[in-house]
Amino acid sequence: MSEDWHSVTLKIPFASEKHALIAKQTIEVDPELQPHAVKRIITVEENVLIAAFSTLTIRLARLVANAFLENVDLVVRTLEQFGEEAENPPSS
Amino acid sequence: MHEIDCICFTKGPGMGAPLQSVALIARTLSLLFNKPLVGVNHCVGHIEMGREITGAQNPVVLYVSGGNTQVIAYSRQCYRIFGETLDIAVGNCLDRFARIINLSNDPSPGYNIEQEAKKGKRLVSLPYATKGMDVSLSGILSAVEAYTLDKRFHEEGAEDKDLITPQDLCFSLQETVFAMLVEITERAMAHIGSKEVLIVGGVGSNERLQQMMGIMAHERQGQVFATDERFCIDNGIMIAQAGLLSYRMGYETPLAKSTCTQRFRTDEVHVAWRN
Repeated sequence: MSEDWHSVTLKIPFASEKHALIAKQTIEVDPELQPHAVKRIITVEENVLIAAFSTLTIRLARLVANAFLENVDLVVRTLEQFGEEAENPPSS
Repeated sequence: MHEIDCICFTKGPGMGAPLQSVALIARTLSLLFNKPLVGVNHCVGHIEMGREITGAQNPVVLYVSGGNTQVIAYSRQCYRIFGETLDIAVGNCLDRFARIINLSNDPSPGYNIEQEAKKGKRLVSLPYATKGMDVSLSGILSAVEAYTLDKRFHEEGAEDKDLITPQDLCFSLQETVFAMLVEITERAMAHIGSKEVLIVGGVGSNERLQQMMGIMAHERQGQVFATDERFCIDNGIMIAQAGLLSYRMGYETPLAKSTCTQRFRTDEVHVAWRN
């Protein structure tokens, strides 16, 4: 990566590794809208979701970080709403 | 949630951000509860909900909303687009005109245009833009907007004969664009020998459109099917309905393919659940 690219790394802890993996698999499906100007690597370490971005401009760094956080927020709220029910399958 | 079979979501067409928001939630739920995803075409959702509600067997479908204007007929496992708008959707045209004349958005601009049109007394001349099986609406929007700058245009009608009121323009706009839609629907009916018309999409709740379509259908010994407002307007259950029909035929959307797309043609869907 050339020296003048900007980089942003976001690390978000989840309640469990399972939840962090769900977030990774959910968010990584959508490709970046400008793949020539934004490089993205999403990984999971234990229960932490890590997103490392390299962008061509500072404006893009702000945009991708914001978009990523909005997506994470949506996933987190879904996990919050349904997580407990998912842990308790009906015993039949 | 553990008892459901699948999670249906709108794959497209539509606006990117809202589509993606739903896809994210659908994927999360799919992974949490280990349920398959089923991506659905929004237009097919309207069609399948309309068929289910009205019981129409094999109608020509007029799909008219703020985002889409298409005439669709089923043939060999495909909803084929017979005619469509070449530029903007009819609902878009009506809504933008409602804004030009400062109509309220409550309950919806289309509804308010319909009510104002009932008070119109004068049919002004507007371009009638059918192009073969298709229609063009953006020119009509410009033309009706130009009337609001005409010196004969007055907000309030008076006894003066040479005045044009907003009500007259609402009336004229509706009569013109609806006549065009009736024409292209009739062409499709003649083409495939169908006697049924199903109107779906938000603009389908317009009673004048239903009435005009009914006159045409009756002249052809046919009939019009329309759903009530709850199902004309975009809703979630139509996505569930169309999704369930394809899921039953073994269709699923793998996670990696569960992206959304703003452009998803109605005729790209393999309608496996019909003969």
